[in-house]
Amino acid sequence: MKRFITPYYALLFTLPFLTIATYSQQSITKAVGNDIAEPVIKVLDYNTLKPVYTKENDTLYVVNFWATWCRPCVEELPHFMAVNEKYRENNRYKMILVSLDDAERATGAVKSFAKRLKLDVDHYLLDDIKKMNEWIPDVDSLWTGSIPATLFIKNGKSLQFAEKPLSKEELESIIKLHL
Amino acid sequence: MKTLQKIAGLLVVTLFAFNTLSAQGYKIGDQATDFKLKGVDNKMVSLADYKDAKGFIIIFTCNHCPYSIAYEDRIIALDKKYSALGYPVVAINPNDPAIEPKDSFELMIKRAKEKGFTFPYLFDDGQKIFPQYGATKTPHVFIVKREGGKNIVKYIGAIDDNYKNAGDVSKKYVEDAVDALLANREVEVKNTVAIGCSIKVKK
Repeated sequence: MKRFITPYYALLFTLPFLTIATYSQQSITKAVGNDIAEPVIKVLDYNTLKPVYTKENDTLYVVNFWATWCRPCVEELPHFMAVNEKYRENNRYKMILVSLDDAERATGAVKSFAKRLKLDVDHYLLDDIKKMNEWIPDVDSLWTGSIPATLFIKNGKSLQFAEKPLSKEELESIIKLHL
Repeated sequence: MKTLQKIAGLLVVTLFAFNTLSAQGYKIGDQATDFKLKGVDNKMVSLADYKDAKGFIIIFTCNHCPYSIAYEDRIIALDKKYSALGYPVVAINPNDPAIEPKDSFELMIKRAKEKGFTFPYLFDDGQKIFPQYGATKTPHVFIVKREGGKNIVKYIGAIDDNYKNAGDVSKKYVEDAVDALLANREVEVKNTVAIGCSIKVKK
C-alpha cells in the first residue's frame, strides 16, 4: 500500500516548485512510478452521467469536473488523487472525474493525461455541449460554468459545491465533514 | 483535538469563501458600472465615450481560453451586426497575465491585429472591473441597455448554445436578447450558463 501512496506525496512536494508555465509532462512522469492500467474514459451524455452519482446508497460522491486545457484543473488533480488514495477503501465514499474536453479527445489527450497523472478513478467524458444551459444548473444551481468545479453529493442530494480549485486540505476537510 | 480545531477553523474559512464568491456580481436589472480601461490601441475607453449607443454587448474574454478562441469570429460578427444598430461590442480581458502569460497586454494587441477585431479589446488592469460585474469565466457576456443615462443589465451568460460548431447553433442567446431590446421588447432568456475558463487571479 505504502508503495502506491508515496509517489503522490512526491508529486505534491514537487509541484509547487515547478513554475505554472512549466507543469510539464516530463516532470510529472518522472515523479510518479509505474503507469496505471490502461485508463478507460466513458463518453456519455448528462442523462446517462447523472445516475452514476445520484444513487440512493448512502455513499458520498466527489464529482470533479475538469478538462485537459484547464490549467488550475490539471494542477489540483494530484491533490484529488492523494486524498482519494486515503479514502478509496471506504465503501461509503467514491470519487469520479468528469472531463469536459471535446469527445474526440477521449481516446487521445484525455486518456494520455489520465495515464500520466495516474487518474485511477472512474472517469467519464460528458459530451452534451448543446445542453450546457440545462445540465450546468442541474448539477448545482450555484454553478456559473467555470472549472474546476467539484460537487459533493449523497443520496442524490447536493451537500456542497466548489467552483474553484481545492487544496488537499480543503478537499479532505469537506470529505470529512460529509462522510 | 488541536487538529480538529484546525480543521473546523479551516472549514469556516472555506464555507465563508464559497458564500462570498456566489454573492458577488450583477443581477438582471442592476446598474452596471462604467470603467476607464486601456484598449489595444493604447487609448482609454469608457462606455460614456459612446454618445449614441443604445447599450453595449460587454464580453469578458481573453487570448488563451479555447472557448474564447472558438467564439472570436462570432464576437466580430456580433460587433459588425449590432454596432451600427446601437449595441457595440466591448471586450475586456479580465485575467492576470502573471498567472496566464498568454493574456498579457502585448499579446492582446497581437491577437486583436491577427483577428482584425473591430471592437475595443480592453485590459482590466488591476482586476477591479470583472468582480463588480460578477464575471467568473471567459467568455462571459453582459448586455446592458442605456436607460436615463444608466447602464442597466438585461442579459448575463453565453453567446449561443454551441461553442464548438457555429454552424450547429440552435439558440443565439445574445442576438435574441439584443433584438428584443432593439424592438423594445423584454428579453425572454435573461440568464444562461455555459462552461468557460475560470478567470485567473493571484491566490
